[in-house]
Amino acid sequence: MGAPMDVLEIRGVVKSFGGVRALQDVTFSVRQGEIRAIIGPNGAGKSTLFNVMTGLFPPDSGEVIFDGERVSGVPPYRIIRKGVGRSFQITNIFPRMTVFENVQVALFAHHRSSRNPVGLARRYPAVASEALGILGQVGLAEKYEQSASILSHGDQKRLEIAISLASRPRLLMLDEPTAGMSRFESRETVELLRTISREQGLTLVFTEHDMDIVFGISEKIVVLQQGMVIADGTPAEIRANPQVRKAYLGEEISA
Amino acid sequence: MALLELDGVNTYYGRSHILFDVSLSVAKGEVVALLGRNGAGKSTTFRSVIGLTAPRSGEVRFKGEKVNGLRAFRICRRGIGFVPEDRRCFPDLTVRENLEVATRREKQAENPWTVDRVYALFPRLQERERNLGSQLSGGEQQMLTIARTLMTNPELLLLDEPSEGLAPLVVALLAEMILQIRKEGVTVLLAEQNLHFCAKVADRGYVIDKGSVKYEGTMKDLLADDEVKEKYLAV
Amino acid sequence: MMATIDVSFLTVQVLSALRQAAFLFLISSGLTLIFGVLNILNFAHGALYMLGAYFIYALTLHLTGPAGFVVALLAAPLGVALIAAVIETGLLRRIYVQEEIYQLLLTYALVLIIDDLAKIVFGPEYKSIPKPDAISGAVTIFGGTVPVYTLLVLVLAPAIALVLWYLLYRTRTGKIVRATSSDREMADALGINMSALFTLVFAFGAILAGFGGALAGPARTVFPGVGTEVIIESFVVVVIGGLGNLWGALIGSLLIGTLETVGIIVFPEFEMSLIYLLMVAILVVRPWGLFGRPLKIKALSEKNLGMEAQEISPVHFSVNPLVRVIPVLLLLAVPLVTGRFYQYLLTQIFIASLVAVAFNLLLGTTGLLSFGQAAFYGVGAYTVGLLATKAGVSTLPALLLAPVFAAAVAALIGFFCVRLSGVHFAMLTLAFGQLVFTIAFKWYGFTGGDNGIQGIPVRPLPGGVEIGSTQAMYYFALAVVGVSVEILRRIRSSPFGSTLKAIRENTQRAAYLGVNVKLYQWAAFVIAGAFTGLAGGLYALMEKSITPDIIHWTKSGEPVFMTIIGGIYTFAGPMVGAVVFTVLNSYLVAWTEKWALVLGIILLVMVLLLPGGVVGFVNEKARAAFGKRGWVRRWTFSKSAAS
Repeated sequence: MGAPMDVLEIRGVVKSFGGVRALQDVTFSVRQGEIRAIIGPNGAGKSTLFNVMTGLFPPDSGEVIFDGERVSGVPPYRIIRKGVGRSFQITNIFPRMTVFENVQVALFAHHRSSRNPVGLARRYPAVASEALGILGQVGLAEKYEQSASILSHGDQKRLEIAISLASRPRLLMLDEPTAGMSRFESRETVELLRTISREQGLTLVFTEHDMDIVFGISEKIVVLQQGMVIADGTPAEIRANPQVRKAYLGEEISA
Repeated sequence: MALLELDGVNTYYGRSHILFDVSLSVAKGEVVALLGRNGAGKSTTFRSVIGLTAPRSGEVRFKGEKVNGLRAFRICRRGIGFVPEDRRCFPDLTVRENLEVATRREKQAENPWTVDRVYALFPRLQERERNLGSQLSGGEQQMLTIARTLMTNPELLLLDEPSEGLAPLVVALLAEMILQIRKEGVTVLLAEQNLHFCAKVADRGYVIDKGSVKYEGTMKDLLADDEVKEKYLAV
Repeated sequence: MMATIDVSFLTVQVLSALRQAAFLFLISSGLTLIFGVLNILNFAHGALYMLGAYFIYALTLHLTGPAGFVVALLAAPLGVALIAAVIETGLLRRIYVQEEIYQLLLTYALVLIIDDLAKIVFGPEYKSIPKPDAISGAVTIFGGTVPVYTLLVLVLAPAIALVLWYLLYRTRTGKIVRATSSDREMADALGINMSALFTLVFAFGAILAGFGGALAGPARTVFPGVGTEVIIESFVVVVIGGLGNLWGALIGSLLIGTLETVGIIVFPEFEMSLIYLLMVAILVVRPWGLFGRPLKIKALSEKNLGMEAQEISPVHFSVNPLVRVIPVLLLLAVPLVTGRFYQYLLTQIFIASLVAVAFNLLLGTTGLLSFGQAAFYGVGAYTVGLLATKAGVSTLPALLLAPVFAAAVAALIGFFCVRLSGVHFAMLTLAFGQLVFTIAFKWYGFTGGDNGIQGIPVRPLPGGVEIGSTQAMYYFALAVVGVSVEILRRIRSSPFGSTLKAIRENTQRAAYLGVNVKLYQWAAFVIAGAFTGLAGGLYALMEKSITPDIIHWTKSGEPVFMTIIGGIYTFAGPMVGAVVFTVLNSYLVAWTEKWALVLGIILLVMVLLLPGGVVGFVNEKARAAFGKRGWVRRWTFSKSAAS
């Protein structure tokens, strides 16, 4: 049972695909405002866990609790409305819309203006300034007129974060936020995430393969291997954990 | 002369730059490991070699001839076999059919692989001959994709994370099989995160991180180098 | 006595059902095979069937006797395969990396072209194909009279099915085909030449269609356009069975063959409607068909085929409102300087424009390719026609009810369709459209059947305004269409419209904004249906008579054509396309019988060379040319990031 401060609880989540167990009894919880990494070797079940947590598919058993409310089995669009944001490993933006429109449409969805078919989208000054504000936060304000498809990879990732932020989430889940970025871009993105989390009290859950980033910013880390949680603790605890070491370097095989 | 050479290879997915000037070489008869964590660029290196994601610059040479720019099936016919990390058995085909699909008739290999020969190497596959690809366990799928790729009579086998997600006992068995394949005269380039698995099978290793090669040397030296291990492989 | 009658009757009916199923299977197995491997839904498959029938017709003119017939039966499908191989290597291959709707459109263009070529070569009339004496008689089985030819079909079709099974499951090439349909990239990496395999599979699918045509030709008749009938039935079969699944094609063929036979006996008026109802019933339970799986698009990496996809950019500026007024002013002045012919032509263009703009709310804005818009057009037209003739309703109320009824029908159809996407969506809208068509076509008591409704009265508007004359109708249509197009433009520029664009660009991401994607797609479908219905109502008033032809699926192709010509990512594109289409249509029809051929070639060229459409192309050039001259830009384009 999590403490009252827990914003996210994963309880005994099991998920199989065609007989292969992708997740086996995964349990952990995330506190309000925490920066939490989920790591593990390829195929450990990180993406599956992410997809279960954001409603892409329901768990076979177990449950996901967000803010004291069960969200497993709820379709993604409803989970998002409850205050969960998500970014994707493969950059997931609206390529043939402008940078501004990308964020604007997210804000429309958030403010429930999407259903208005008669007003003009450009006559929403509050939304426009909010969008520009968010773009400023991620450093894209000057590129607001550009088509999203011509942005650099790093900018596209940033745009995706901006889109996620526009839903004003209390919990933001990021799947490999720096994948494919240059070192410089990664460092900037990490700073950005840290600032946003600190300023807005936003809870961050992310997966990442860059260990410098994982150990640089997370407060707690959960390690998955073959669909099971093999460790859950602070960066120092994880670094010292022999089982984690083995998961990454493999068992010593007797010759 | 090296069997496979990568010379300053740069590969992109769309706008995103993944491999930075990757150079490496594999001599005939060797087993070479390409080590690195998730997302380090191992799979992209393999995809660049086999032609599924062609490099934007640099050169890939096989037996001294440039192969980058050729389509995947042509590179395969030159003698490079690729076993992807997610295995990808054909799910609607039986084990035997999976093997038959890969049989190449146009190439005159000296001692061509046959279904019987790969069954001798992987007896488990013979037992499951009539099962569909989708009905196999993870270890069996791994054996099937390796066996299937052998049917194309490769001189060089690219194995992408063969030990991933397998139980320790199966991993040990797999190591035996790789050594056996090598004895049959096939050169192996292996992408792995599992250092101890590589220690068992490989002669030399490259360590790749963030799309560029950080270290190269014999497996023995690599095992002894705690700094490299900590920095690029462990957590 | 009764018992023997029943047995003979039953025998005849069972054999007739099986014969029907046999023909269906030959066509749909090829269709589903091609889809499984190439990921292309081949609209032209019906046309290939037709070619098979024409080829055997042409061959049996010279080859007589049983031996000649056998040679013709074998040679006809090979001829079809040859044509298919040329189509695949010359045309289809160029657009594998484009979005799937362009592949669909290319094969649709081929339908127009092949149909008209057939008309040129073989003439417009129905042809019957003589059978050798040995197989033209009938035999008595259990007291029922059965044509010998039916028995021949019932031997040959299962034999073909067996051969197909043998080839796919017992030969190496067959195994490669099955492997490729589940993982192209892996097959590629195992040394299999995809390009060669694609040609082979496309040609082989064509052999099946051609053989179907060659075998069915002597039993039925052949005429230009027979393919458009056949393809719809095959679509229903493969939708029911599951796209890409051969067992599905077999079971689907048996189901539809049986239902058609039973339907003719039990509900002779609505046997065709029955098959669509069965399809709906199955899709409610299994959206991907009996044996189908949700498709994971097995994207070809660009390098696989050695080419790069062309990116078609939506246009990011809109025309200045002042500039937009100019064409309206010009149109208001037109009747002052022209006669009735041009007024009538322009009225047609207005109506076509509304259909196309409404259609593009789905295609260009939401990313849904509907091939069933004629249904809503028809509902609107029949609403006006029936209310005016049968209920004596006045013109304006009748016209206002047209979009209401069309929206209601769209709401129902849309409920099923938005659960699917891509080609599945296109096929389902097509099939639903045909369901509406068959009802209108056969329900003599209500819709007048194929006679349609004649003499629709046009009564004065409230206030005594007469709109019966060509000129009055011109202004009336201009007003109605003008207001409707402006509303649609507003919708496109609204937050709702932005959300639709987001769904088009990235459905998954849109869902992760908290958008109920299916609901929005459904809403767009209903809105498009309503305006299409309004256009249909106007059409009924303009023509004062309607026939079910306006609901046939080939009419659903017209807005597709217009929109692609004009450009799908521009608001004005579909209207420009409507002008081009309507003008071509009326002039070409006057000049030549072959207007469909010309349209087909234009569509083909557009898909291959100018996928952004005329307006997209002009915009691009205009932006490049005038973009730097401040005053031109200020006056012509009101540039805004929120367009």
